[in-house]
Amino acid sequence: MPLVFSQVAVLGSSGVLLCGIILLWRRGVPAYISAFAWQSIVLAALTAAVGYFCDDPQLYWVAGLLFAIKGLAIPRLLRKVARRFERVVEPPPYVNTATSLVVSGLLILLAYAAARPLQAIADAPTRGGMPLAMGLLFVSLFIIVSRRKAITQVIGFLMLENAIALLAVLGTYGVPLIVELGVFLDALMGFLVMQIFLYEIHDTFSTLDAGALNRLKH
Amino acid sequence: MSLPLPIVGLLLPWATSALLALVVRPYRAPVGWVSVGLGLVSLGSAGVLWAAALGADTAFAGRNDLFRVDALSALVAMCVAIVAELAMCLGPGLSAATPDDARAGGRFRLHGSLFVLAMLVAVTINNVALMWVAIEATTITSALLIPLHRSKASVEASWKYILIGSVGIALAFAGTVLAYFDFVTLLGRRADALNWSLLMHVAPSLHPDVLRLAFVFLVVGYGTKAGLAPMHTWLPDAHSEAPAALSAMMSGVLLAVAQYAVLRWKAVVDLAAGPAFSTQVLLVLGLTSVAVGALSLVPQRNYKRLLAYSSVEHSGLICLGLAFGPAGVFASLLHMLNHALAKSTSFLMAGRILHRYKSAEVDGVSGLLRTMPATGALFAAGVLALMGLPPFGLFVSEFLLFRAGFVSGHVWTTAAALLLAGIGFVALASHLPRMLYGNAPASVAAGEPDRWMLAPIAACAVAMVALGLFLPGVVGSLIGRIVESLGS
Repeated sequence: MPLVFSQVAVLGSSGVLLCGIILLWRRGVPAYISAFAWQSIVLAALTAAVGYFCDDPQLYWVAGLLFAIKGLAIPRLLRKVARRFERVVEPPPYVNTATSLVVSGLLILLAYAAARPLQAIADAPTRGGMPLAMGLLFVSLFIIVSRRKAITQVIGFLMLENAIALLAVLGTYGVPLIVELGVFLDALMGFLVMQIFLYEIHDTFSTLDAGALNRLKH
Repeated sequence: MSLPLPIVGLLLPWATSALLALVVRPYRAPVGWVSVGLGLVSLGSAGVLWAAALGADTAFAGRNDLFRVDALSALVAMCVAIVAELAMCLGPGLSAATPDDARAGGRFRLHGSLFVLAMLVAVTINNVALMWVAIEATTITSALLIPLHRSKASVEASWKYILIGSVGIALAFAGTVLAYFDFVTLLGRRADALNWSLLMHVAPSLHPDVLRLAFVFLVVGYGTKAGLAPMHTWLPDAHSEAPAALSAMMSGVLLAVAQYAVLRWKAVVDLAAGPAFSTQVLLVLGLTSVAVGALSLVPQRNYKRLLAYSSVEHSGLICLGLAFGPAGVFASLLHMLNHALAKSTSFLMAGRILHRYKSAEVDGVSGLLRTMPATGALFAAGVLALMGLPPFGLFVSEFLLFRAGFVSGHVWTTAAALLLAGIGFVALASHLPRMLYGNAPASVAAGEPDRWMLAPIAACAVAMVALGLFLPGVVGSLIGRIVESLGS
């Protein structure tokens, strides 16, 4: 049983990380949104699986919320934003695709190095996935700094949140429920505010290219 | 009664004020007056908490230990309550001389009150993860207020703020999760595992390597909110583009709330891993911030941005102080209080100046003492205090801070910080006379509207001077108690 559990954990974490890397080589916002939606669904499934193996019904609730908010609601809102700005030409990223993939490979190596103390003390069957969660954390940060379009930066931020949720479910089988609820509320409110700003940026700058936001210097 | 009355008195007024601004539409001036009155209730409650914290380790704790107020909470809560009250007095929606449209007044009272509420919850809640939730909520509520008067610059500033702030704070949550992981793995699952009171208690038995990794995430995360370089890039934009009352709160106390989180975690990590590691991290970040803040002051020509970069510098000094041992922590906390008073005074006065002169450039402002004598004098007092001149409180706290640095053996770091603070001093000193003296542009009318508004600011200036002349016993013993309770 622990063997199956640990294999499911590593497989699920790899799936979540892979969805993050897909964003680096696909082009176009609709593809990014799909990658994020799938990532959230895989994460929700993994959370439910951990709940099953640990016999913790609370995690089913968390998985359900993840699926509903990050798998369905936020991608739907993102698609609405993307459709509204369909004719906006995607500016090229600051870093090209090949370099991005190499960098993300290096970041995952770095994550394995950073996660060594975690693996040293962990005895949970899920510990094999923790470096992958750290890897996704670094890759999401890289997405945010290397992409120019504001909506892509938002998707990078949402993936960063997924990475932390993954880390929490693998390392601790989920933070206490009251914290989980607070985090969901913040994530949702934060996203809604960011969405307002996407419209504001588009209305005031007529572009979603965050590189154009350079009036304020020094 | 599930919550002690003073904690209710601290938090409930702001919830009420927000609710009122939400319900009463369109906005009317009485809503603003009620928010000022409610702010006074909150300020009084902060005073009660302060007095209680002088006598006991845990002044008040709610049922289930959800809320817990000790000396450190009381100090930061007092800073927040003072600055929030000043901001509510001078913020949009009250002055007859600056008739902001009703929409701006209503939005400020709503989001501003929620912003204050989030900060106060952050410093009084016992659970570290819920504190994180509250600090994240400060980002959301304040980002909505920055473009109160929409322009390209303010939209850009708030976008940078919400993106960098949210990413930074997300990293702090990763750090919190890592610390919780450490706890759960070594000591088992407990519902109260994330409470300060318990964390401080069990810290010595946690795994040092994991906590060190967690601390890096936590410092980078909360350091982003505290305006520490190199994560400070959002700060000059957000603080200079935000309406003055919001800048005062963001610069005066939001930075202090973020430093509060850093200090709490530092105490936990030090108990587990020894102070050497956190000291190194804080020294590097602190000195970088002082350098970036002070050197950016030199070429700066926009007075709101001058104040913003001065916040980076002072935030760096506070961070350095935390690394200078118990005496340094004492100086840092005193500095936090002094900075909250001086920076909010300066920003609020800068808002009045901007409104009159219609220019945020130093070159666009002259003859300030003739056109607006009281505003000009108070602005000068705020800036002189920020420069660290006697008789203002910041002089005392900077002096204590540098002395602690030399005494604790960080001679080169302290000397470098002292030199950089000197550069910042000269940069600010070179701008101030140009603004105060000379002839005002012909288009600028003389006169001082809404004099009553300056009364609370004048009281604040008196407090700044009082803290510089002597250290009141209530302040000294409260901070002494904090240093003792952190065991640093």
